[in-house]
Amino acid sequence: MKSTSRTSSFAMPGRCGVGAMLGAALALAMAFAQPATAAGNLTLLVWEGYADDSFVKPFEAETNCKVNTVYVGSNDEIVSKLMSGGGAADLTAPSNDTNMRLVAAGAVSPVDMSKVPNAADFLPQFKNPSWLVKDGKVYGVPYGWGVVRIIADPKAVPADTDTLGFLWNPKYKGKISVWDDIETVYMAARALGFKNTYDLSDAQLEKVKAKLIEMKPNIRKYWFTTGEMGNLMSSGEVVGGNSWESTLVELRNAGREVADLKPKEGRGGWADSWMIVKGAESNPCVYPWLNYVSSPKAQALAHKVTGFGYPNAKMPTELDDKTKAAYDALGMVDPQTFTNVDWWQPVKRRGKYLEIWNQVKAAAQ
Amino acid sequence: MAQAALSLPSQTGGARPAVRSARRIERRRMLLWLVPPIAWFTVFMLVPYALLFYYSLGQAEDMVFTPGLSLRNFARVFTDEPYLGVILKSARIGLMTSVLSAIMAYPLAFCLAFHVRSASLKFVLYLLVIVPWWASYLVKAYAWKTILGTGGILNATLQGLGLTHEPVRLFLYNEFSVVLTLTYIFTPFAVLSIYAQLERVPTSLIEAARNLGASAWEIVFRIVLPISVPGVIAGGIITFSLAFGDFVAPVLVGGPDSLMISNIVINLLGVAFDWPMAAAIGLVIIALGLALISLSGWLEEKTQVRL
Repeated sequence: MKSTSRTSSFAMPGRCGVGAMLGAALALAMAFAQPATAAGNLTLLVWEGYADDSFVKPFEAETNCKVNTVYVGSNDEIVSKLMSGGGAADLTAPSNDTNMRLVAAGAVSPVDMSKVPNAADFLPQFKNPSWLVKDGKVYGVPYGWGVVRIIADPKAVPADTDTLGFLWNPKYKGKISVWDDIETVYMAARALGFKNTYDLSDAQLEKVKAKLIEMKPNIRKYWFTTGEMGNLMSSGEVVGGNSWESTLVELRNAGREVADLKPKEGRGGWADSWMIVKGAESNPCVYPWLNYVSSPKAQALAHKVTGFGYPNAKMPTELDDKTKAAYDALGMVDPQTFTNVDWWQPVKRRGKYLEIWNQVKAAAQ
Repeated sequence: MAQAALSLPSQTGGARPAVRSARRIERRRMLLWLVPPIAWFTVFMLVPYALLFYYSLGQAEDMVFTPGLSLRNFARVFTDEPYLGVILKSARIGLMTSVLSAIMAYPLAFCLAFHVRSASLKFVLYLLVIVPWWASYLVKAYAWKTILGTGGILNATLQGLGLTHEPVRLFLYNEFSVVLTLTYIFTPFAVLSIYAQLERVPTSLIEAARNLGASAWEIVFRIVLPISVPGVIAGGIITFSLAFGDFVAPVLVGGPDSLMISNIVINLLGVAFDWPMAAAIGLVIIALGLALISLSGWLEEKTQVRL
């Protein structure tokens, strides 16, 4: 619809009062207008916050691409929507535990990175990361990311604690809260020193389960949202656990001191990437969008909405002072942050991991 | 307008010879009326149940569903941890909720039925029972967090009165707070159902008993209570089912082991993509529910007093 209204306004000056000529002019204008701009439709299958008006509107104005959004709540929803086929979307932004699953299933097309020049400014960790590369081809453009932080109240837990072990310390009985997610299963595997976090054997999983049950006396509550973890910390219900960056920012903005511990066992890392749904690579709006969302400006706007990390190293310069200070305090552009990050990977036996997690939750304290 | 409506019967009164065909039309019209409920039942009940059954017989491996004819998932519900244990735990929480709701609801319904004489006061009280339902479930559950929390209203009061010196941590994030929240939220259902039954108690019966010299307690225990049993059972079934299937209270106010069966089903659908297992659990719960409703229907019938 958009392209027809454009062409008719193009043809306006050429109207000489002759009907036939008008028709010819219209047809001509149409023929010329089509390749000149990348007008069209773009459907995104993404998380809330990944297609916010604050950065979608400028893109639409600039490119004349109309952006439609389908929101999803989980990576599984993305996979099931794309597997069922039928051109569900042009672009999607799943996490690093899902990227390779889509690649393996042949549901996505490789990305021609030469058409995404803004990606040249990405932090080195996000230039062709392992979770996006298969047979020398890159299958996604990194976007929102974060490290699963280990946080603690420095009044109760020494701020120089460098091990996950404190979560099991009987001193903190009923004073710990961890994420109600299989990331906590991964965390226990790291605490046990297992290096194959995402491909644990049955025997290892049994040990992980025992380890998590051992933690239960310390658990006040398994948290469900990062805001909930912030509340638990600020109301003094708990003194530590794992959480996302946003909890740290929220607590610090409220004037609370909170330690961002760097356990030697490592931390989990998640990263979403834009992927091109098979068949959509010819959509003229796809590459303009990929390059646009990779720009420092668009990523700064996105950070305002989500609070996530973004891969463009120049992004912080676009932030206001307060936001930039908070971003820097989290070490989001510091190479040091990226040492010892155990990036998420597809877990073949997610069902088994989840069963273990449910068994842990169902176990009596 | 009123006059036009009144004169309507006399106009149609002249259609006497066409009784047979009118009946046929009536029957046809009946069928027409039956179409929406039958369609509703088919689209929203039969088809989903059939789909659920179809899924439960299959398997999901690495996000891909393969249809099958295996009862393996049903076996897993009963043999693998933690499914059966969590179903029983949910049933326990449901039972506690329904019993507590009935205990809370009965005196209120009793008052409403027998002690409030003025109709307008009755209406106001009735409304007060229902009004909490206008507020969102989440808000009400959250409210309990602010009441029961370590820095909550209850602890502040206890400490202010000098009854405790340290905040009591036993109020929140355990099974107690889950049952308390569920009881608070679902008690209105018990009130309405018990009240409806108590309204059926004829005043003549009570007066006769009184005239024959029965004491107030005798009237309550030998007349009112027996008549009200079906209402208590009906309310109990509603509160039990709602509490049994709840997944919000355990997430908001539950503790580290307050996992309920609906939470597991959500996990299986969202995280593990194990639709077949989720479907099997769903069907087991539906079967248990049907058994329960049949049992309660039978009990209601048995306890129903002919008036």
